[in-house]
Amino acid sequence: MKKRLLSLLLTASLAAGLLAGCGSSAGKSKDADSVDEAGGKTAMSVEGDDVTTLNVWTFIELHQKFYTTMAEKWNEAHPDKKVKLVLSNMQYDDMHNKLSLALESGKGAPDIADIELGKFPSFTAEKDIKLLDLTDAIAPYKDDVVQSRLDIYTKDGKPYGLPTHVGTTVAFYNTDLLQEGGIDYTAIKTWDDFKKAGIAYHEKTGKEFACAETTASWMVNLMLAQKGGDYLKEDGSLDVNNAKVAEVLHIIKDMQDAGALATVPGGQPDNEEAYPHYNDGEFAVQIMPFWQTSRFTSYMKDLKGKIAIAPVPKFGDSDATWTIGGGGTGTAVVASSPNAELAAEVMAFVKLSPDANKEVWNVLGFDPVNTSVWTDKDLTENPDNQFVQFFNTKPFDTLLTMQDGIGSLKSLQDEKAPSINNVMVTEVLTNIFDNGADIQQTLDDAQSELENEFAS
Amino acid sequence: MAEETVPMKQEKMKKGSHDTGKIAGLLVLFTVLALLIIAPIYALFVASWKPGEELLQYGLNLNPEFSHWGLSNYKLLFFGDHDYWIWFRNSLILTVITVLLTLLVSAFVAYGFSAYEFKGRNFLFVIVLAIMSVPFEVIMLPLYQQMSDWGLMDNYAAIVLPFLAHASTIFFFRQYLLGMPKSLIEAGRIDGCTEYGIFFKLIMPIMKPAFAAMAILNGMNSWNNYMWPLLVIRSSEKYTLTLGLNTLINPYGDNYSLLIVGAFFSIIPIFILFVAFQKYFIEGMTAGAVKG
Amino acid sequence: MKKLFYSQKAAPYVFVLPFVLTVLLFWIGPVFKGILLSFQDTMKNQWVGLSNYQRIMGDRIFWIAVKNSVKYTFFTLLLLIPFPMLFAVLLNSHLMKRPNLFKSIYFLPALTSVVVAGTVFRLMFGESDQALMNQLIGLFGAAPIKWLKRGDTGFFALLLLCCWRWTGVNIMYFLAGIQSIPQELYEAADIDGASKWQQFRQITIPLVKPTTIYVLTISIYAGLSMFLESFMLWKGNNSPNYIGMTIVGYLYRQGIEKRAMGYACAVGIVLLILVMVVNLIQLKVNGTFDSEEA
Repeated sequence: MKKRLLSLLLTASLAAGLLAGCGSSAGKSKDADSVDEAGGKTAMSVEGDDVTTLNVWTFIELHQKFYTTMAEKWNEAHPDKKVKLVLSNMQYDDMHNKLSLALESGKGAPDIADIELGKFPSFTAEKDIKLLDLTDAIAPYKDDVVQSRLDIYTKDGKPYGLPTHVGTTVAFYNTDLLQEGGIDYTAIKTWDDFKKAGIAYHEKTGKEFACAETTASWMVNLMLAQKGGDYLKEDGSLDVNNAKVAEVLHIIKDMQDAGALATVPGGQPDNEEAYPHYNDGEFAVQIMPFWQTSRFTSYMKDLKGKIAIAPVPKFGDSDATWTIGGGGTGTAVVASSPNAELAAEVMAFVKLSPDANKEVWNVLGFDPVNTSVWTDKDLTENPDNQFVQFFNTKPFDTLLTMQDGIGSLKSLQDEKAPSINNVMVTEVLTNIFDNGADIQQTLDDAQSELENEFAS
Repeated sequence: MAEETVPMKQEKMKKGSHDTGKIAGLLVLFTVLALLIIAPIYALFVASWKPGEELLQYGLNLNPEFSHWGLSNYKLLFFGDHDYWIWFRNSLILTVITVLLTLLVSAFVAYGFSAYEFKGRNFLFVIVLAIMSVPFEVIMLPLYQQMSDWGLMDNYAAIVLPFLAHASTIFFFRQYLLGMPKSLIEAGRIDGCTEYGIFFKLIMPIMKPAFAAMAILNGMNSWNNYMWPLLVIRSSEKYTLTLGLNTLINPYGDNYSLLIVGAFFSIIPIFILFVAFQKYFIEGMTAGAVKG
Repeated sequence: MKKLFYSQKAAPYVFVLPFVLTVLLFWIGPVFKGILLSFQDTMKNQWVGLSNYQRIMGDRIFWIAVKNSVKYTFFTLLLLIPFPMLFAVLLNSHLMKRPNLFKSIYFLPALTSVVVAGTVFRLMFGESDQALMNQLIGLFGAAPIKWLKRGDTGFFALLLLCCWRWTGVNIMYFLAGIQSIPQELYEAADIDGASKWQQFRQITIPLVKPTTIYVLTISIYAGLSMFLESFMLWKGNNSPNYIGMTIVGYLYRQGIEKRAMGYACAVGIVLLILVMVVNLIQLKVNGTFDSEEA
């Protein structure tokens, strides 16, 4: 009896699954107020014999809509070279692992894939690089694009990835809170000012000023680049325990000890556990890449109208660079794809053309990598734009101030970068700022562990 | 059970008050344990009614906080633009196929081991035991390469095939069948059944409780399987529920709205399976219990 | 031919054929291939002799992984055998009301996938003071803890996740074992005036030994090859200071994340040997072989 009931239930739920499955893929009844991302496959509705189908792998659902919008514009402008993008969205780690396995085995790879900056070097590490050299595709846009953002996906002078944004590191100040604490953020020019302001704020309000990162190194890398330091020697050998890295960590540690910084749950501002703490006003300042804008509008909604975007503090005028680009996704083309050349041309248009870069700001809220649009006030100060509405300063004024001072850490292009970053965010920073470990000792341990890893 | 009631009654009359204390004690102990075990699922249930984006703000905890409740997650689950139900359907199909085939093939093999004396039997059975203790993860990478060479990537066959003759299921069925009367086989032969006919017509019907027990265990494994499908499946329209749910966990912003409510819903089918088969489950497990 | 197929002599071979095929194709083949790969550097596509194994010996992270896996296995055995056995005995007692209801409840966690359970536990063990565990210790006046960042508390979370998922399953195994013990033995013991505790020690424990050995074997297997629990609890293979790194986690990191297939296979072979040796010792000590071959 029970068994019959069971099989009935199973059949019913199977049928429900089938129906619902078809319904949801065909119906597309988009929930109006949902900003959610879900995995899945999307295909453009372009048909015809002359249309080339290109498979694209992404790990951010939002990119899919952006790509299809831009590809439609491409098709309008190039009726002779129409393309149909078929996009698969996968989980972040999973997509990178599958891509590397597929490239390795030569089976099942897509034509185009988004590769995250932290993972990129492992795809260009081998002698026989399986991604397409994009020099020709980039050429039409090269002069307008921030060079340091092309460099991070470059190996031996050949670019393999198309950047999505600059990720200029900026300071986000909660002006409401700072006013209460008697702090004028516009007066913060140097890290010394930053520290003094932090101490004063903490003493007056009892709340925290900014965070000492333990699971990411946005601020650490920024300071290191300003100091002209890096994690590798000139010859590319490991050097994570050098004096400059130690100096930067000491500076941050001093700020922490003085009360200007504190650790935040989740370990960094761009973390699901951290957002509520910023949203509730327990922390007042974030030193983050520009794309943090999109986190404010999605996860820290209560801060609307309270956040100013300002240039990051410096050490002094002799700094090696003012700011750096942080994070990023490089779109790569698989060299063995039968349509590789076309794919490269299309994706360069989709990601680097001025039209595309307008879209990057409007839809994603990122700082566009094609700086020709930065001065387009109709775009950057459009009162209907949700990001313009959210912040109480003009976001692009800050970007333009620092435009000529956007550098990067050279080591990010090296194949050792993912491992170095991993050691930093899972061991070094947490040991120093959470557990109070000795800085030099911790760095020495990290160095020997990395040396061991790359010994063979 | 029926015979037991008589001594039970006598006992109760002898030391009734003493027993009441014990009954209450047991009840308290197991209720506390049950509450502890239910707590995370209850927390998941409560969270499924709260807005996903603000889950971390309110925390995953046991406070119902009805003021934050809303239907938005459930609306999203049933009417939203996502692939949850495709994953759900895939998992359901894959689980049903896996369980049916694995039970059939494993029972077939187990019958061979228990009903016949043949050369190499002990050797083969030692292999069954050995394979039970080889972690699948050891062969996972070479097997992946092999599947890739055979062109079985992105194919459900690659998920089902390696576990068709499932060592621990075979072991269990063999234990179960050792307790089967040999006379049944003899009777079958006299009736003119073929060797295979005996298995299909006479043996399979008496294995029902064992099937129930193994259906639950294999069903659980298949429904919740993650690592191997993760490696084998490439296209997102073939994702199973566990793979799909995991795409919602992303360094670029988790989709807790769908994740939490989807996670809660994913428990339901397998729970129905369990409740329906529970009686047979214990019976089957007992009959097939390891007898050393 | 057809006659042979139906003969009583050939039938057993036909019956076990699917097993033999599966084993050859999907187990022996890959194990053999894994052994071969473990002597290669797949990135450079060359034979490297024992150098992968030599590297393992001096690999600090590998040994952290081994330590974590062994510690985890040891504690799961310590917690997941005696307690479920005791609970099963109590549940089986005629004094127990509604045993089936409780059995269903205890089994519920095993029905949730690790993907779901790990996510729920990660959120429960969050750093915020709103997270369940911090609320709980807050009741006793303790300050919030960064549970998943510290070795001891992280391990506790992992162990709790495991106990939560498997207590109910092991109770079921033991219940099945206990119910196959003839009732007369207890009745006889009652008449002899043996206490319940004596009955538990003298009758139940020895007679459920086969079940205990079975649970022990699969627990060793599952403990040493644990990965997904850690993977989900730390939202990836990146726990701070490797507090959640396990042997299979390391195999995954090398083989999939770093594509060092040869090295990963060497790690796999070491794991295989470890599991085999531990289980052989365990089965030997328990004297299982003598009875199993009969």
